Amino acid sequence: MAKNIFWTCAVACTLILSAIPVAAHHSFGAEYDANQPITVSGIITKIEWTNPHSFIFMDVTDKNGKVANWKFEGYGPGVLYRNGWKKDLTIKPGDHITIFGWRARDGTNWAHSREITLADGKKMMFGPPAGTGDGGNTPAVEVR
Amino acid sequence: MMRALSFIIVFALLCSPGDLCAQTKSVVPRGPDGKPDLTGVWQGGSTIRGSWDEANAGLGVGGSGKNPNAPTVLSSNDRPAGREGAPYQEWAAKKVLESFNKRGIDDPTSLCLPAGVPRSVMLGLFPQKIVQTPKEIVILYEYMNAFRTIPLNAKHGDDLLPSYMGDSVGHWEGDTLVVDVIGFNDKTWLAGTGTFHSDQLHITERYTRVDKDQINYEVTMVDPKVFTKPWTLRSTIMLREGTRLEEYICAENNIDPAAYEQLLKAGVKIGR
Repeated sequence: MAKNIFWTCAVACTLILSAIPVAAHHSFGAEYDANQPITVSGIITKIEWTNPHSFIFMDVTDKNGKVANWKFEGYGPGVLYRNGWKKDLTIKPGDHITIFGWRARDGTNWAHSREITLADGKKMMFGPPAGTGDGGNTPAVEVR
Repeated sequence: MMRALSFIIVFALLCSPGDLCAQTKSVVPRGPDGKPDLTGVWQGGSTIRGSWDEANAGLGVGGSGKNPNAPTVLSSNDRPAGREGAPYQEWAAKKVLESFNKRGIDDPTSLCLPAGVPRSVMLGLFPQKIVQTPKEIVILYEYMNAFRTIPLNAKHGDDLLPSYMGDSVGHWEGDTLVVDVIGFNDKTWLAGTGTFHSDQLHITERYTRVDKDQINYEVTMVDPKVFTKPWTLRSTIMLREGTRLEEYICAENNIDPAAYEQLLKAGVKIGR
């Protein structure tokens, strides 16, 4: 019993204390609209494995057979590497993948990528949650 | 008697070999001078022990998502729950709020400028490496490829050029490394969207390695031009054995400022 209480406390305390502030290079929340989630599938045409952010370009075919090239922004290569991505191995041009993310505020073929489903069904994070970098819900100062 | 028995039972529960408590009681490594040796690769802001992979498995920023139940992480632009408001003078608080309402498009790091202090120390998306010698400590930050040299028992120069990362000197107070930082420009944010400062910023940092895995970090920021009183924040910095620093050349493909401009020119509302 005592051990159960201890572990319950340990887990709860960890949850309470472990909000980690991380850096986002720029405001995803300014460029992309958290109210416009999108899931699209297509064929990768190009990958820019670059800092401060990586980009995946993908041909997406709509229901009428029309093909459009989309651009998806994600983490830089260091963050991707630490999360298990391998340059030129995990994804490459020609691969068929599905990307979940949020559209750019201008509604064009441009989006913030979050979770990618690889050709083999494996899911990996390519970008941060919606709104990252826009200041969150509470300003650093009290609002008077 | 019962009290002693209770103590023994609690001790046995908490500190049996190989459990969590055994980790927390691990020994602080020390250098040849007997001071705690901070050398290693670390992650700022985190409270979680373990490798980078183990500690970043959640769904927050930078998390791999391998463990959806792991704690949520925040952006360094966000104000953590429970943190008091920064003590800005009224005019300065309005300026901070303006940046927040613009969703931080004026973040200096969006122009690939160094993140400054304490932001570089407290952020968690990128590792930092501390290299310690008895005379000098060097901290390398992967984010923006920034660095700080911290000579020990030295004085600041009297001809400092204003800089993004400031001029640091350190000394030991017992087992705590105390770092005094001045000589800043006014082009960085401190801890959160819009948290600007002046070139009068004076920072005191206290690094206390409490066990093998954890440094307790306390930073006090004084700036008479923008604050009403000193602003103190506390966080922890966790050891990430097996992690190496990667190169971060931000100018390589920084298209986001152009994207902001494109959206604004198109009349798209991006503010709150």
